[in-house]
Amino acid sequence: MRFITLLLLLMAVVYDLSAQDYAYRTFKDSRIVNTQSVETLGKRRLDVRIAHRFGDLLGDNGGWATFYGLENATDVLIGAEYGLTNDVTVGFYRSKGAGSMPDGQAGLRQVLNGTLKYRFVQQSEEGSPVSLAVLGVTSMSAAERIEGNPDIIRNFSSFSHRFAYHGQLMVASRISDRLALQLTPAYTHRNVVPFQDENGIFSLGLAARIQLTRVFGLILDYTQPFSELRDADNGFYPILGVGLEIDSGGHIFQVNFTNATGIMETDYIPYTTTNWLDGEFRLGFTISRLFNL
Amino acid sequence: MTINLRNLLCLLLACSLLYAWKAAVVEDIRLEKDQAVAEVLQQLGDEPVPHYPDTSLQGVSVEAGKGIVLTGFAPKPGGGTINKQSKHYVCTACHNVEREDPDLSVADPQARLEYARDNGLPFLQGTALYGAVNRTSFYNGDYEQKYGDLVEDARHDLREAIQLCATECSQGRALEPWEMESVLAYLWTIDLKMGDLLLSEAEYAQIESAMAKQEKQQDAIALIKSKYLSGSPATFVDPPKDRKAGYPVDSTDVENGRLLYELSCLHCHENQRYSFFNLDDSKLTLRHLAKHFPRYTQYSVYQVGRYGTSPVPGSKPYMPNYTLEKMSHQQMEDLRAYIEHKAGWSR
Repeated sequence: MRFITLLLLLMAVVYDLSAQDYAYRTFKDSRIVNTQSVETLGKRRLDVRIAHRFGDLLGDNGGWATFYGLENATDVLIGAEYGLTNDVTVGFYRSKGAGSMPDGQAGLRQVLNGTLKYRFVQQSEEGSPVSLAVLGVTSMSAAERIEGNPDIIRNFSSFSHRFAYHGQLMVASRISDRLALQLTPAYTHRNVVPFQDENGIFSLGLAARIQLTRVFGLILDYTQPFSELRDADNGFYPILGVGLEIDSGGHIFQVNFTNATGIMETDYIPYTTTNWLDGEFRLGFTISRLFNL
Repeated sequence: MTINLRNLLCLLLACSLLYAWKAAVVEDIRLEKDQAVAEVLQQLGDEPVPHYPDTSLQGVSVEAGKGIVLTGFAPKPGGGTINKQSKHYVCTACHNVEREDPDLSVADPQARLEYARDNGLPFLQGTALYGAVNRTSFYNGDYEQKYGDLVEDARHDLREAIQLCATECSQGRALEPWEMESVLAYLWTIDLKMGDLLLSEAEYAQIESAMAKQEKQQDAIALIKSKYLSGSPATFVDPPKDRKAGYPVDSTDVENGRLLYELSCLHCHENQRYSFFNLDDSKLTLRHLAKHFPRYTQYSVYQVGRYGTSPVPGSKPYMPNYTLEKMSHQQMEDLRAYIEHKAGWSR
């Protein structure tokens, strides 16, 4: 991790950061499927977003009984983000919260999420071959406290237990007009976790956009949490999302499938217990609307 | 009455002295290239235009006007900064603030395109703000079709024209009185100069003579006014009837089309500068445009070029159309040829 950080800092210094032919829109949206992309909003632009994850498409909780998950709303996120400058975006979202431990114990619910993204290097023809950005997320559960059971997360015996944090570095490159890649080392910290779980989890994400036509693009991302507890034997699974991105000529619509239940990083990275191979993946979509302010 | 020789000589001497004095005065009037056209016209006795700024209002300044035109922002008279005039556009999204025509007396889009290329300017739908204060007519020709009765007040009143542009074209707020006068104050810094008028030496001499002798001033005024348009003509045209075949032209010029794409389309759409519809030089984008060029869709350059786009609920900003004077049929076909060439598209 230290080596990667040093390498990136070195790249930022070595390359001419003042070059003008910047790569624009490495990704077309600020999210890929689950992972945030390196993209920031333009200055004074507001992006109002509604993201939705339905229930399991197949498996024990999917199929005809739930109309392939369409009758369930696993997670819903509503909020907005705003471009303070062309490189700094702040956001505020309310999410339902969906992640659970394999034993069924719920993670944070009714979550208020604040985000801050800063792009400090932008890919350019004469300069850096990659764009670099950092993202910070603070999540706070606004759910009612469940008293009398100190073993569960929502006991919230201390106010700080309501919080979880996430930080990630995004290294992205627009390889060509058709292909963009992103590497996302990240660290997620929860103030309170179930017994034997770890508060801090490192993870690494990989993401890609393959532009099929001007309108349609294929997007995918994969996140691997690094934790002794987080393997299939313990009921945790890596997070994989695939989606279709539709550029309507002003707005980006996204339809995706993912095994993650939660939408925010503080939710899906520590709490993905659903498996693609068991049919536990779901349809999701995001509606995003940009405004000039 | 008898006139003796001595008196006659005295009279002749006086006349000679008077003529010599007058000739000396005429020689003293020399017009400079950077002299304001409006000033010369007024010295010739022309009626002043009615849009000089009222600088008695608090807060009026050239700097504030320049800020509003170029960025939408300006310092408030009492401190702080005004709310951005338009969330969507600035004046320079559609108007140059530099001279954009080699010959100001004609509306020739091809000459303007080449001038824009040579001077590093964009090629835009709106008429240059440079020299706007010298014009007396605005929203001319077919703009009535687009804005209806709204153009009535704007046609012969620059303040009304600016206000119409502020609220309709840029979908922003109306200018406060001090803001309006500031904008006018700035526009008067980019008024026409005598050097812009392509006057010959003989024409300069004619004007100078009229100013000096105080005669034939109307001819001089007419001469000056013949060197620039008092208003931009605007002819709205439809896309070609047969969109697949395009406008009937003898041949197309791909390089000319490249200029149009770069100086016009990309001016607003590159990196979503003034539009959420992004354009770039990628093959994917050019193929998309080539495919839609002859279609009846919002991605058709024929469609949006000739009709513009319309405000829709939730999205008020819209693209203005290109009148025939701002983009000729030949240029439209050159643009299509460039896009199809870059897309590897054949009809």
